[in-house]
Amino acid sequence: MSTSTLSRPRPQNLRKPGSRTRSNLSGWGFAAPFLVFFLAFLVWPILYGFYMSLTGKSLTGANDSLIGFANYAEALADADMWRSLGNTLYFTVISTVPLVLVALVMAALLNIGLPAQWLWRLSYFAPYLLASTVVSLFFTWMYNPQLGLINEFLTGIGLPRVAWLNDPNVAMWAIVIATLWWTVGFNFLLYLAAMQNIPAQHYEAASLDGAGAWRQFFSITLPQLTPTTVMIVLLQILASLKIFDQVYQMTAGGPGGSTRPVVQYIFETGFTGYRLGYSAAISYIFFGLIVVISVMQFVITRRRSA
Amino acid sequence: MKQFESLTGKQLSRRQLMTGSALLGGGLLAAGLTGCGGAAQAAAVQDIGFWHLLSGGDGIKMQAMINAANQANPGFKVHPTVLAWGPPYYTKLAMASAGGRPPEVAIMHASRVPGYAPGGLIEPWDLDLLAENGVTAADFALRIWEKSQHNGKVFSIALDSHPFVMFYNTDIAGKAGVLASNGQLQEVSSPDEFKAMALEMQKVTKAHGLSFGYLGSGSQMWRLFYTLYKQHGVDMELTPGQPMKVDREAAIESLEFMASLFDDTIAAQAGDISTGIAEFARGGSGMLFSGVWELPTMKKAGIPVDAATIPTLYGTPASYADSHSFVLPRQLKLNEDKRRDVYKFVTDVLKGSLSWAEAGHIPGYQPVVQSQAYRELTPQIHYANAAEIIAYDPESWFSGSGSDWQTYFAENVQNVLLGRDKAAAGWDAFEQRTNTLLSRPNPV
Repeated sequence: MSTSTLSRPRPQNLRKPGSRTRSNLSGWGFAAPFLVFFLAFLVWPILYGFYMSLTGKSLTGANDSLIGFANYAEALADADMWRSLGNTLYFTVISTVPLVLVALVMAALLNIGLPAQWLWRLSYFAPYLLASTVVSLFFTWMYNPQLGLINEFLTGIGLPRVAWLNDPNVAMWAIVIATLWWTVGFNFLLYLAAMQNIPAQHYEAASLDGAGAWRQFFSITLPQLTPTTVMIVLLQILASLKIFDQVYQMTAGGPGGSTRPVVQYIFETGFTGYRLGYSAAISYIFFGLIVVISVMQFVITRRRSA
Repeated sequence: MKQFESLTGKQLSRRQLMTGSALLGGGLLAAGLTGCGGAAQAAAVQDIGFWHLLSGGDGIKMQAMINAANQANPGFKVHPTVLAWGPPYYTKLAMASAGGRPPEVAIMHASRVPGYAPGGLIEPWDLDLLAENGVTAADFALRIWEKSQHNGKVFSIALDSHPFVMFYNTDIAGKAGVLASNGQLQEVSSPDEFKAMALEMQKVTKAHGLSFGYLGSGSQMWRLFYTLYKQHGVDMELTPGQPMKVDREAAIESLEFMASLFDDTIAAQAGDISTGIAEFARGGSGMLFSGVWELPTMKKAGIPVDAATIPTLYGTPASYADSHSFVLPRQLKLNEDKRRDVYKFVTDVLKGSLSWAEAGHIPGYQPVVQSQAYRELTPQIHYANAAEIIAYDPESWFSGSGSDWQTYFAENVQNVLLGRDKAAAGWDAFEQRTNTLLSRPNPV
């Protein structure tokens, strides 16, 4: 394979003099539609958002003068900002672990060859296709303290009722459970695809050497899945950090602000509180945090692979 | 093919590009003019955009009033857009106005006007033009007319006032022996008398005496709290840059009374709005604290229902309320003809608001309230006096119906109502939160 690549003539040799400019131009032409959207909807908003965070801009149009880093100073002293940031990080930690582990277990169960594979795949993945409003609505009903299905079940087996969405100690977990049911299917599919790509010879060789199912799982399956796990954890952390929809619809950040994520706080200060400049400053603090988390993750995974 | 080559084979010169765009633009303009001509021939019917937040039974009534106005006025056609109540509605309205693409007319809660008027998101009403259409200040109750003003200008025209009231089941009340000789609920004038009455009803229902769902709803908790607080005969003031002015004792007493109701005998300890409404509608309790807009649901449920203002438990009659009011979002380019049509539309709806009263609301337009037809509406007429005792939210850019401020109230007070926190602690935390808001820059 590698020799045939080496023996190929170098592409540059085929070019006529002067064709480089033209091919560059047509390259830009092909890239242009993407670039236009990239510049208009990503680069420009990022730059403008940062500029806005340095102003006292309001949604009503009042006061858009530059005020330097006053918004940042206010945000860093804002207990509600820190609390909502803490809630976001808490949710990220307590949701990422089960969302990865449960997906792994589900994929492993399916990979050992259960009958009616299509049915399992469908039932594990189908919730992922639902809109967040639908998921929030029926979990809100199931969590209803008086009429909810879950409390009916609990009282049926002699346990006390739980105020799922109204107890500050429980509400975040209730949202994690709903999120787990809703989105675990995506991670499950990634794991399943990766498992099915592990060569069967590895397992054959291991079983000839007398390795049991558990030994095979921990010594073959898990190590082979490492790149997939790294990717799933990365995607999951980013997805969990963006938590907003289901919280807004199930608890609106309550009870007592115990589930309000930072994205909701940004929304509240900017859109319902009119303070766009201040809201932009909190966004950039959050953005900085995501960059720090991503860099940390990058360093850790690189150290591991080195 | 040849034209195609000229586009792909060589680069377009600037002149070609200009010619092309001019032709394209001209073509579009011509097409536009034809379209315009078509509309002009149809006697220039003005399309009026109208945003409101009324859904369910209210939405059906509103649509009927819009249809009636459209039929009576062939010169315009009002196109309503219904948006979800609360932050989604107010956010979109503010953004549309700030962006210069708002509807010609919109409904807002009167309590939200102080967040919109100072920033120029809405425009004042022209009282002369209003009078030309037969509506003047004299057509509104004083309290409601005062609320429509901001800095001396009229920014909202109230379609109604919708107070927080008490529904009661006459059958259960009769069996409990708490009806007066006129068939209406006996008057009670202290917290203990009220609780005693509720307990009598509980003996009949074997479930609860009172239904009031509040879990997860800041607006619901606020409505009852503010009613009780105002019954102490005290005020609450929110002035940016200053701490909140409030009677702390009255606030704590009100919260303590509320918490004492949720003992699973007088009322369910932990119920949300829909659970409370469902409980009362199926006869599981004798009384329900709710907004007047719940009347159609109760009538539909087929229970023998009557209503009254919330009993005066602390000496001063008061009832939390708000008004659905018409406002004029700021137009980028004002079309005078459309603006005139808006005045016609709004005054037509006011004059036809008897059907709005059927949905439970107290019409803002007094000639309707004083009409014989309104006097025959029961139980509406039994709480019509609420228009004289209503208390709107304290004014500020962040208060009002569906505001984050009400959410902050729930955040700090829900645990008090659930019996997990002391009333003083909950109140102080809310006051602290409010003071933080007041200390921040005012964005309007």
